[in-house]
Amino acid sequence: MGFWRLLMATLALVSFLGTADAQVVPGTTPADAPETPDPSPNDVRELLRLLGDPGIQEWLQTSADETGQIDTGPVLTLREQLDAQLARIAQRVQSLSLAWEILPQMPALMADVWNSELSHAQKVRSATYILTFLLIGLGLEWLYRQYMRYPLLRMEQAPKDAPLEKLTGAAVRAAIIFAGLGVFAVGSIGAFKSFDWHPLIEALVLDFLAMVLVFRIVMTLSLFLQAPFAPELRLVPYGTPVARYLHETLRLLAFAVVAGLVVSFMLNRVAAMREMDLGGSLAAVALAQTVAVALLVVLVTWGCIWTAFRRVPQMCETAPDTRRLTFWRNYLIILVGMVFGLWLVGMFGLMWAVLVIGASIPGLRLLQSWIDHFFDQSTAALHDQHMAEAQSTLDAFVRAEADGELQEGEPQPEVPEFADPYATVRPIVQRAARFIFLMGGVLLLSTAWGVNIFDLSADRSVLGRILEVLIDSIVALLLADLVWTWAKTVIDKRVADYEPPVDGQAPGPEARMITLLPLLRTILMVALLIMVSLSVLSAAGVNIAPILAGAGILGIAIGFGTQSLVRDIVAGIFFLIDDAFRLGEYIEVGELMGTVESISVRSMRIRHHRGKVHTVPYGELKSLTNHSRDWVIMKLEFRVPFDTDLQLVKKLIKKVGAELAANEHYGPSILSTLKSQGVRRMEEFNMVVGVKFMTKPGEQWLVRRDAYQKVRDIFDANGIRMAERNVKVEIEGGDTLTDAQRTAVAGAAQEASQGPSGPPKPIPDEP
Amino acid sequence: MADTATAGAGGAKFRLRIMIATGMVMFVFITMHLANLSLGLISVQAMEDWRWMLSGVWSSVPPLKILLQASLILHFLVALGSLYFRNTLKLPAYDMAQMVAGVLIIPLLGMHVFGVMAIDDLGLEPTYMIVLGQFWVVSPLDGLQQVVMLVVAWIHGAIGMYTWLQARDSSARVMNFFYPLVVALPILAMLGYVEAGRQIIPVDEGGEGFVLENDPNAAGPTVDPDMIPGIIAQAKERPRRATQISLGLVALVLVARWLRVSRQAGGRVSVTYTGRRPATFEADTGLTLLEMVRENDLPHASICRGRGRCGTCRVRVLSGADALPAPSEAEAKVLARWQAGPDERLACQLIPREGALEVERVIEADYSNLSEARTVRDGDAPAAAT
Repeated sequence: MGFWRLLMATLALVSFLGTADAQVVPGTTPADAPETPDPSPNDVRELLRLLGDPGIQEWLQTSADETGQIDTGPVLTLREQLDAQLARIAQRVQSLSLAWEILPQMPALMADVWNSELSHAQKVRSATYILTFLLIGLGLEWLYRQYMRYPLLRMEQAPKDAPLEKLTGAAVRAAIIFAGLGVFAVGSIGAFKSFDWHPLIEALVLDFLAMVLVFRIVMTLSLFLQAPFAPELRLVPYGTPVARYLHETLRLLAFAVVAGLVVSFMLNRVAAMREMDLGGSLAAVALAQTVAVALLVVLVTWGCIWTAFRRVPQMCETAPDTRRLTFWRNYLIILVGMVFGLWLVGMFGLMWAVLVIGASIPGLRLLQSWIDHFFDQSTAALHDQHMAEAQSTLDAFVRAEADGELQEGEPQPEVPEFADPYATVRPIVQRAARFIFLMGGVLLLSTAWGVNIFDLSADRSVLGRILEVLIDSIVALLLADLVWTWAKTVIDKRVADYEPPVDGQAPGPEARMITLLPLLRTILMVALLIMVSLSVLSAAGVNIAPILAGAGILGIAIGFGTQSLVRDIVAGIFFLIDDAFRLGEYIEVGELMGTVESISVRSMRIRHHRGKVHTVPYGELKSLTNHSRDWVIMKLEFRVPFDTDLQLVKKLIKKVGAELAANEHYGPSILSTLKSQGVRRMEEFNMVVGVKFMTKPGEQWLVRRDAYQKVRDIFDANGIRMAERNVKVEIEGGDTLTDAQRTAVAGAAQEASQGPSGPPKPIPDEP
Repeated sequence: MADTATAGAGGAKFRLRIMIATGMVMFVFITMHLANLSLGLISVQAMEDWRWMLSGVWSSVPPLKILLQASLILHFLVALGSLYFRNTLKLPAYDMAQMVAGVLIIPLLGMHVFGVMAIDDLGLEPTYMIVLGQFWVVSPLDGLQQVVMLVVAWIHGAIGMYTWLQARDSSARVMNFFYPLVVALPILAMLGYVEAGRQIIPVDEGGEGFVLENDPNAAGPTVDPDMIPGIIAQAKERPRRATQISLGLVALVLVARWLRVSRQAGGRVSVTYTGRRPATFEADTGLTLLEMVRENDLPHASICRGRGRCGTCRVRVLSGADALPAPSEAEAKVLARWQAGPDERLACQLIPREGALEVERVIEADYSNLSEARTVRDGDAPAAAT
């Protein structure tokens, strides 16, 4: 019971813009429903007596149908509901006019009731109780603070840069501070509740203690967020004077609301005690004084809004936009006025709707800028460092220019853009916070309307249905939006950060993700769209089972029809996951070879080094050879005569290898430089000396070219000849041949050694 | 002038001893009395059973009675003396709270004390039935006043005990017990008071209408019935007079102090603080450096709040050291304990003379370098000084 009251008081705090007084007339607002006190023993006895009454039993039997459900009468049509609503408003206006009439006599009447209900001693004793239990609560809180002082201080002084650290720091701080308030609540309200009291005194004292607690919660919240006396702990984006001013304003506002609530509660309770004696007029008295108090609170709220909008801009360093200021000021003032007016005519449901929706519009904007500020604050140090570095680079340039050290026309160094480390987290947090905020609003609204949103399907009224559809759709949309924002920012960031490889270099592993990510993004978007539309449809009562079944059948049909298309797509995904090829790599697929130029969902495009473009569907790929991975070994052969000095050859090759490795252009890409492998085989007329080297993919051609050239030069310089084909023809008794005969024999021998000469073979391709 | 200063210093030490001793006596009394009240949580009968043991001792055993009354009067008078010698009324929060609470105690307390005495005069036993009935049923406004008095007196005593304990070496350990005790006792006493009241209040007013088993006052007042109105009138008159006298004395002392300070005001001294929170201000001579700092609302470390015990208000004198009086014996002892350099002084004991003074805090106002300051030895020239 006490807990409920506490909870209600906390709820009232949320709407402290001067409108929470809607709760002060017990039993008139739906929000008061949970406040119904537990039945007293008398009530229970009465209920038992009624149940035993034959007349009541008969009524129950007649009004219950066969299934045992009580017939609550025909469902009202819209017109009837409208009529009822209008009648309620008329009645409310009537009672308001009655209240207006008796307003002048009210103080005397209330004083009379007040004095006759409570003796002087009881009043003073109530004050004693309030004082005592406040002191007990404060004492316990003080003790708690003594023990938590150093942990809190450590928490506050610990350096906090990363947003997560800041958030945990703030959360722990909040936990410590609000646990102190909890101790206060236990010490005051809890201790008081542990005694048995005279009911009226109990209600009065409890109201008072609860309101003190609410006031302190508001002030602690303000202290925690605004930290008017410790700028380094402030969580909101404005300076000390503004924080102090707003803190004071909030104190005034909270005091007005809480005092108004206490007075209203107190007078209403006293009035309720006497309701039996005075009849209906007392309800009007209660209403009259509640309206008077509420009016006062609304006036104070208006005053606060008006002055705050005049004073705060003066304290800010930057001049804000006057038109926007005026707009928001008028907006808030009108909002408060509207809420008050709706409360006055008794349309509480609408009042709550206006209040919650009206407050969430500026609330959302504030939340957004607050989160931005939160991230800005935590990257401020990084940003400053970055700017300082950039500035020093520029300064160095300017100095060098002044000293004339620079060559004419050297461009000013570019300042790189500041890389926000939380660029991806920020929008996600924004959406998540917005999601929680809106959900909180929806929950609040449904509580105010007395609708249990978790049990809406049981509610068969039109309003319940509409609400259910709305809430379900909003939740689905918000969740989908959250997921989409997250995926989109992450993917876009990664794509934007990707740097394509410089010409001639092999692309890194990131290239694979760049090919996959846009595909994933599209798939996710389609999936989300379908899911959201399906869940909205299902919430709206459309039977989605046929749609699903249809989609399934269609899926199968399309699947059969486009088997090869599906195979291409799936195979492509697996090739990409296998990391078989990346953009820019030189690959060989069956007969085709070339550089991977583009990768699409179904196929890839390969450009042959002579410009031909091949399009290969993934489904066609059986195996794939990749020439651009990690390293390449190239083997070369030289034919030398049998009389060559092999040691010298080895030495010379080594020398060439060192030269190649020292080359400034391709030297770094040589993984293992040129070296001799000795004689690989003997042929008819010569020896084959093998050499090999290892380079990064793509560099081998250049190295090979130079290697050939250098080896030939160095062999030439050292008197090593390359073997040439020669045929020795031995003719018995050839000494006596004439010149003409010799020529003929040589020609025949050459023909015999070469065999029949056909057309020349094509030169094999090499890039 | 110099004579009065030394006499003031010697007198201050004596005053402090008396304050601590008499305060301790009263703290013990209040502790026992509150313990008695806490028994109300059990029942009024339990309160009554323990009444002689926990409260009655102080009013029926003559040596204790005299000790308590003498302590009260002496404590009050010595406190007036200290107030007279205070150079500034700009005090730290704890001292201010203690002083205000001290001034309020007698006006709040009078009614209860003289009321119990009147019950005695009437030839009745001052049982809790009578006293609680008075406070809860007959005149609840007085009952409200008692709650205020309880808190005020307890705060005053607890601050005193806290200050005394803090200067001891074992304070950290003692504080672990002191804090819970300081909160628990008055809370239990208040709860006992409320619960006992609930039992005492007649049934028709929502209470339980408790009656003692064997009430010693069952026979009614034993005194001559004609004297009863006189005694009651006296019981009403006496607290009023006590209030007037005590407040009058406080006012008188405040006026006298004002006269003393305004006559004393001679030259001006210009003080410059260098270091992390630099500041320059002018002040009247005659005040200690710490008092000057407080008057100018500057932050300064000082755990014992200017009693010359803790040594956390040390400053390093950078210039103007020649015009300073030599450290007193007590100050030198504290400085030696910290192994302070020859240029270091306690701000709470240092009374600058006319001229200019330049100093630097050894321990920062937020105690951020308290652990480092222990290792700083003389010769470590501060960066700001060079």
